[in-house]
Amino acid sequence: MAYVSMGEAHRRITEYLNRFCDAVSYQDSSMLCRLLSFSSNSPSLLSLADALNVFQDASSLIRQSDKFSEYGEILAHLFRSLQSYRVGNLVEAYLAFEKFANAFVQEFRNWESAWALEALYVVCYEIRILAEKADKELTSNGKSPEKLKAAGSLLMKVFGVLAGKGPKRVGALYVTCQLFKTYFKLGTVNLCRSVIRSIETARIFDFEEFPRRDKVTYMYYTGRLEVFNENFPAADTKLSYALQHCNPKRERNIRMILKYLIPVKLSLGIIPKDELLQKYNLHEYMNVVQALRKGDLRLLRHALQEHEDRYCIVAVFLRSGVYLVLEKLELQVYQRLMKKIYIIQKLSDPARAHQLKLEVIAKALRWLEIDMDLDEVECIMTILIYKNLVKGYLAHKSKVVVLSKQDPFPKLNGKPVGS
Amino acid sequence: MNRRSRGSSSSSGSVGGASDSCRRRSDVPRNRNNDNNKGGDSADVSFIVGTCSSMCPERERVTRERLRDLSVFERLHGNPTKSSSDLAVKKFCRTLSAADVQASDVRPLPVLEETLRYLLSLMDSREHPFEVVHDFIFDRTRSVRQDLSIQNLASERVIHLYEEIVKFHVISRQRLQSCSGASISSMHHLNMEQLAKTLTTLYNIYDVNRKPDYIYENEAEFRSLYVLLHLNTSSGVMGEPLSLWFRKLTSNLIKSKEMCFVRKLLRSYRNGNYRSFLRTTASEATYLQYCISEPHIREMRSFAVECINNVCYKLQPYPLLRLSQNLMMKYIIFRSWMLNLYAMSVVLRYVLIPMAALCCQRSRQASAVQRKVLKTMI
Repeated sequence: MAYVSMGEAHRRITEYLNRFCDAVSYQDSSMLCRLLSFSSNSPSLLSLADALNVFQDASSLIRQSDKFSEYGEILAHLFRSLQSYRVGNLVEAYLAFEKFANAFVQEFRNWESAWALEALYVVCYEIRILAEKADKELTSNGKSPEKLKAAGSLLMKVFGVLAGKGPKRVGALYVTCQLFKTYFKLGTVNLCRSVIRSIETARIFDFEEFPRRDKVTYMYYTGRLEVFNENFPAADTKLSYALQHCNPKRERNIRMILKYLIPVKLSLGIIPKDELLQKYNLHEYMNVVQALRKGDLRLLRHALQEHEDRYCIVAVFLRSGVYLVLEKLELQVYQRLMKKIYIIQKLSDPARAHQLKLEVIAKALRWLEIDMDLDEVECIMTILIYKNLVKGYLAHKSKVVVLSKQDPFPKLNGKPVGS
Repeated sequence: MNRRSRGSSSSSGSVGGASDSCRRRSDVPRNRNNDNNKGGDSADVSFIVGTCSSMCPERERVTRERLRDLSVFERLHGNPTKSSSDLAVKKFCRTLSAADVQASDVRPLPVLEETLRYLLSLMDSREHPFEVVHDFIFDRTRSVRQDLSIQNLASERVIHLYEEIVKFHVISRQRLQSCSGASISSMHHLNMEQLAKTLTTLYNIYDVNRKPDYIYENEAEFRSLYVLLHLNTSSGVMGEPLSLWFRKLTSNLIKSKEMCFVRKLLRSYRNGNYRSFLRTTASEATYLQYCISEPHIREMRSFAVECINNVCYKLQPYPLLRLSQNLMMKYIIFRSWMLNLYAMSVVLRYVLIPMAALCCQRSRQASAVQRKVLKTMI
């Protein structure tokens, strides 16, 4: 912390107070944003914090002038929060910021137009970030983390304020996304349901009115929820929307969307190009995609099983929630393998190509180092035919699968297996 | 500790029923804001230390003797008005709040351990039908859990108690299948509900005070039960979808033998691979895992028959014996099951023709009989 003289401290604080009050009087939203954005760690905010810690009695300054005392409560909490933030006391910083936020939202309600919406966004963002930091501090001190949960409640309150008929309602989607991030971090994703219901069914909201950036984020999170609930067609729609409307320059965001969209597309029979995986650094899917293309069951199993590696891919898939999607790809890999056998047979003996002997299939699997007895091979073929991945029938006694002459390996065409 | 004067407590008069709660009433109005007796941190306020030294608080035993509210297991020499401290077990009772509870009514850990041991020893009792045994143990273990949670106990010994209670619910689930009666299905439902609750609490205790990278002795097996309860996407037994639940597992758990086993089962189940499912279960499942998987085993077998029925060439009959071996069923049981299936015309599409196709090759007589039987049934 730099040394600041009392005079200089006085000057800095007064300057900030003037800027704040002017911003409100002249409805200068971007100025207000800069004044509230703690996490930006801007030099002006940090120097203000130093000044506050030296001066110690900023409230007297506030009280002295009518101009400042109008926002006395808001400013007092804000200053206290900034002071604590500066000295690394994050739990205190959060608690004070929460009080500031409550007071600020009260004022916001009284302002008729939506001029301060951007500033409100900053407040919502900051409260979430501060809460996460505060929880980290609590856990490291052996206490139970509950600030992020509290931030969630406050965000719900803000949502309620915005959910009205006026121009402020376009801000509701931003707050919704902050709520999503909060709930996902807390693991309480089921709480997303109520706010989703409000956005999607309330008549005051028109989805198209919301800013594009917020729509993309919203579709990303609701798409992920569909993945968790295993509704793949719905997940496809939402994540594809997010991808389509995402700013192409935001590569990090595109990568995040693809991380979930790719497994969903795979389950619908749509395989991405290798260049895509390379461009966005999605190497974890390389093996899976390769396995699907080649019908290489061993590669798929290897990609989804335990390794002795330090970097356990299975854990990665489990954490991101796509594991169950990927497990179901096995049948598609079998289909691809059968198709390859069929194509090879067609080349050598076209008249008999449509007859797949179970023995031949077992042999192909043995080449892939997979040991399967004929009963299990028969079982797999039965399922493939039943789920319409293979067209034909099974002759049990002859131990042969007789393929249909027309289109024996139908494509999934964007529908999940077995539907 | 709270001391409040009470009026007489009343009970609802049901005999060991799994149904409802009894309420305690008091004539003295409560002043909740004025807790003079409690000091220290607000966190400690609601955690009592129990002092009751027998399986049932004396007060309750006396009251229930008087009201003839004794279960068959609690009666001394069959006398419906007399029990003893060896036989009476505290009943489950929904209290309005922790502030209503007296320490002398709550059993400390050693007594709870003894109580649970006694209760589980009744599982093999032959004197009464299983529904009655289940009902009693169901209610009394619920009370044990209540005492544990009021005292906010969480230690390895407590984990062991919860694990034993989960085992009780799982085994009950299986044994209730072979019981009959009007109330069995609601018993089954309530049993599943409490199974879910007990598992949730158990998982919470595993997580509390966990040393990094440590898993408890039986934790992997008990975690695996969650997966088995959620093999089917649409079964929301405990409310959280499986993919979300998986996120929270530590890597030690993910790598454990039991979790690998259930993931294999999950894969087989979701892909419809009945052969792998049945074989894996047969060779690797523990008894508990088997009990929980039972409905899915039946499901996979039915699914197998449905697939084969739809897919097999009708002029090449599929021998029943072979099928029964593949589905790992004793042939006799398999045959009668097949006849039952067709009798109830469950699910299957091409009934008449493939029925002939699925006839046993061993004797043409048998297939003729089956055809006749079928014709009379449809």
